[in-house]
Amino acid sequence: MIVNYRCFNFFFPYLGLLGFRYSRAATVASPCGGHHYVTAPSAKPPQPQAGDVTEKILNQPLEKADFFRVAELFSLKDLFDARVHLGHKKGCRHRLMEPYLYGCRLDHDIINLDQTMEHLQLALNFTAHIAYRGGIILFVSRRRQFGHLVETTAKDCGEYAHTRYWQGGLLTNANIQYGPGVRLPDLIIFLSTLNNVFQQHVGIRDAAKMNIPTVGVVDSNCNPSLVTYPVPGNDDTPAAVELYCRLFKMTINRAKDRRKQMELIHGLSAPTSQIS
Amino acid sequence: MAGSRLERFGTVFTRVRDLIRSGVIKPKEKPLWYDVYKTFPPKRAPLHVKPVTSPSAKKQEIVPEIFYSEDKIRTGFYEQYGRGLRALDLSKSNFVSTCQRFVDKYRELKSHGMLDKSSLFEETGKALLKEGIILRRRGAPPVLAESRDPVLDLKLIDMLAEQQSAGTDTTKTTEDKNS
Repeated sequence: MIVNYRCFNFFFPYLGLLGFRYSRAATVASPCGGHHYVTAPSAKPPQPQAGDVTEKILNQPLEKADFFRVAELFSLKDLFDARVHLGHKKGCRHRLMEPYLYGCRLDHDIINLDQTMEHLQLALNFTAHIAYRGGIILFVSRRRQFGHLVETTAKDCGEYAHTRYWQGGLLTNANIQYGPGVRLPDLIIFLSTLNNVFQQHVGIRDAAKMNIPTVGVVDSNCNPSLVTYPVPGNDDTPAAVELYCRLFKMTINRAKDRRKQMELIHGLSAPTSQIS
Repeated sequence: MAGSRLERFGTVFTRVRDLIRSGVIKPKEKPLWYDVYKTFPPKRAPLHVKPVTSPSAKKQEIVPEIFYSEDKIRTGFYEQYGRGLRALDLSKSNFVSTCQRFVDKYRELKSHGMLDKSSLFEETGKALLKEGIILRRRGAPPVLAESRDPVLDLKLIDMLAEQQSAGTDTTKTTEDKNS
């Protein structure tokens, strides 16, 4: 089964610069942003300085409501044109989706796009912050129609995707299936929360078990209760799924670029040309 | 790293927060998303909702039906003219269907002062025909540009009856036999 996966080995051991830096940042005594820089650095090593700055970089985006300006990426008209408001028929409706529905036109559920706007903004903002902090994002979708699209989206933003059969112990038994000390994803994005037999995807429950937040597109026949940031919307139309993929890709790339910019500004990584 | 696998109790956030508070998860082992969730929580806490097993649960109609005032006109149109000859092209967002044109013309005529429903319907039909849109009544044959040759509509029984009554119209009988 592993052979069928694309070549993203989406779990890698917890090593790497970010992890090292993160631990250094936490050992610094003063968490107030680190404004006191030593003037005579000869005796003192530069690591606490980097730690302070990292702390500042990590906390600065949390101060603004929309630091990455994700609300600019989409409008209500875009959602309407992509047919995001079209739900399933009345008989397929999930009881818990009723608050998110605008109404029912001749037995056809219509999703409330005002609510979708707010939820999508929250979800994209969260994704951007996770990507900014260097978190691993996993795209999951069991819809075979969009399998390739989801995989290419993940590839384009440098993250991971899983669009094949979800083995039972993928998250819950990762240490045995993939070896000890595996790093699990920090965010899982579901482009469709159902599997091929119209039941809730096992990944939602497993992510909740492993304390991993989830972002998921919930259609009118889905259960939104366990999804951390649900986005009520159509998950069947190609136009709608392409819109979601595009939005997630843009937010993640934007967040990562912003992170590189911030690091350059604060002089952490060696800049090729100094940006003031 | 320590964790809590109880997805049915509390949310992801509450479980991690309580683990940090009790000291099981050290502050430096805090997950990446913890601060972000704290600053930007979702609109609804992702608590697990128990599925309702009893079938006798109250079925409240919380989701309203969507109906417009133009729907009455639309029902009248579809009853009289059937599905319409022109197909609906949903790929264009500014597409105006035959039914929609009917509705617009009806409202226009109504605003001019006509009150009687049946006369309004007829007037709208006539107005649309003037504009060039062909409307076919349900069940009626389509309106063609040229009329059929009346000879083709003649039936054998009628012809024989005519022959018997008239007696000597042989040219017409031969024409009928050939058609």
